[in-house]
Amino acid sequence: MNAIVMALRGLYGVWLREITRATRDRAQLIGGISRPLIWLLILGVGLNPYFRGEVYGEVRFVIPYTYLQFLFPAVIVLNIMYTSIQFAVSVIWDREFGFLREVLVSPMPRWLILLGKVLGGATVATLHGALVLILARFADVTLSLEQVALALTLMFVLAFGLTSFGVILAARVRSFEGFGVFSNTVILPLYFTSSSIFPLDPALTRAQQAVTYPEWLVFLVQINPITYAVDALRGVLINFNQFAPSWGVGIIVAMAVLFFAIAIIDFARQ
Amino acid sequence: MKGARNRWIQPAINLAIAVALLGALSFLPPDTSLADRQKSGVLKLCVPPSYPPLVTGDPQRPGFDIELGARVAEKLGLRLAINTLSSIGTDFNPRNWSLTRGQCDIIAGGVADTVQSRSFLQTIPTPIETGWVGLSGTGQLPAAGGAVVVLPGTSGLDRLQLSGWLRQQALQVIPARSPQQFVETLASGRAQAGITERFLTAAMALPDGIRPFWLEDARFPRFHMAFGLWKGDQTLKRAVAEALAAIAASGDMAALEASYHIESIEEAP
Repeated sequence: MNAIVMALRGLYGVWLREITRATRDRAQLIGGISRPLIWLLILGVGLNPYFRGEVYGEVRFVIPYTYLQFLFPAVIVLNIMYTSIQFAVSVIWDREFGFLREVLVSPMPRWLILLGKVLGGATVATLHGALVLILARFADVTLSLEQVALALTLMFVLAFGLTSFGVILAARVRSFEGFGVFSNTVILPLYFTSSSIFPLDPALTRAQQAVTYPEWLVFLVQINPITYAVDALRGVLINFNQFAPSWGVGIIVAMAVLFFAIAIIDFARQ
Repeated sequence: MKGARNRWIQPAINLAIAVALLGALSFLPPDTSLADRQKSGVLKLCVPPSYPPLVTGDPQRPGFDIELGARVAEKLGLRLAINTLSSIGTDFNPRNWSLTRGQCDIIAGGVADTVQSRSFLQTIPTPIETGWVGLSGTGQLPAAGGAVVVLPGTSGLDRLQLSGWLRQQALQVIPARSPQQFVETLASGRAQAGITERFLTAAMALPDGIRPFWLEDARFPRFHMAFGLWKGDQTLKRAVAEALAAIAASGDMAALEASYHIESIEEAP
């Protein structure tokens, strides 16, 4: 019993350290604010007139939501992706400056230390995702408490999986500079090929007739797991799914389990 | 304890600033649709020539949607301009009504709040409901093998679902091309009952004793009628929605419903 309490206190300590560090870091918070501002306020409003359903009598955009509403869940996922994957910098930092060594010699099992770190990273990433929810009024997305609770749950599980993914990347990248470049080359392609900023024509079947995409792009979108995460959030927040709703939830949970398992193996090797 | 409290002060301040900033920015207008209408002073409402009782064509009692539109325009401080377009309602998909932003700010008089409508317009539902209704002297459809006359209408109800259901019930279907043919078939006794969209019955001179009833099947949900606005006109949509909420709160909406007898199909004259 005592050992369990000690382990939980250790877990809490590692989690708290991540939270404290992230919330004290203004640069991270600025990133968490600037992304939704750029994507929703600038890109969303900028492109909104071109997705109005009618342009000089011709029907252009035939999904039952406005472009801002369509973009809104994707921006939440973007914020979570950046925060989660960039979290790996903290792992590199701890490794470089010897903190990790000190923690690893504690009686806590390694997987529990990793769990504490990942839970910390996931909590911060969920917080950054939740910041976007404040702009729901701007995007004309009406949210009930139930929707918010469900969205936060999905966001947390997604953040958990992506934070674990960040740890996997950190195990393979040794320097801060290298990680910065590498993470961008992972995040941006994943984001752009997740049907985040354009609806996928084949999934919309007859409803979406105006826009068609080359097959290679459709293929990339369909094999990208983030596509299904964005879709799951769209289902919850604007009641619009391009794929079966259960796929999104299943893939988010699968990512969390798989990436955390790999992260444990990588972390144990360090 | 004090140290632990101090540890959270800075993060709390950072977070409060972030929330306040995003909260303030969420009040920025995302477009100029309302400002443009305020500049011109006119709100253009597009309606079909007739869709009673929502649009009647009678200047004394122009219809529920037109009177509601007038109240909305009044609340927004705008003059209501009615554009009567015969293309509205010519197809069950509003996409094919050939409407443009130049002609209409709001589309009314036959827009049901369905996914099909929302793929083209953003909708603000009114309290009025539509759906498939049956018409017969007994208040129910005949047993298997009986004949029903069907007039699908154009408000976007799921006619495929209806035809599949009718096949399943083993009912013989007599399609009608117009309200007149629908009534004639019912009156002649060739069909024991009829099925049509709720508001089409309003324009029909039904034979004595024939009364409408909702098709109570889970496959046939009722839909609210709606005001349709162009996607992306967020500020105008918000203003119209607020005006409608104020009209409903003042009791004006209910009075209007009662004056046109459209609270329920039983109230229909």
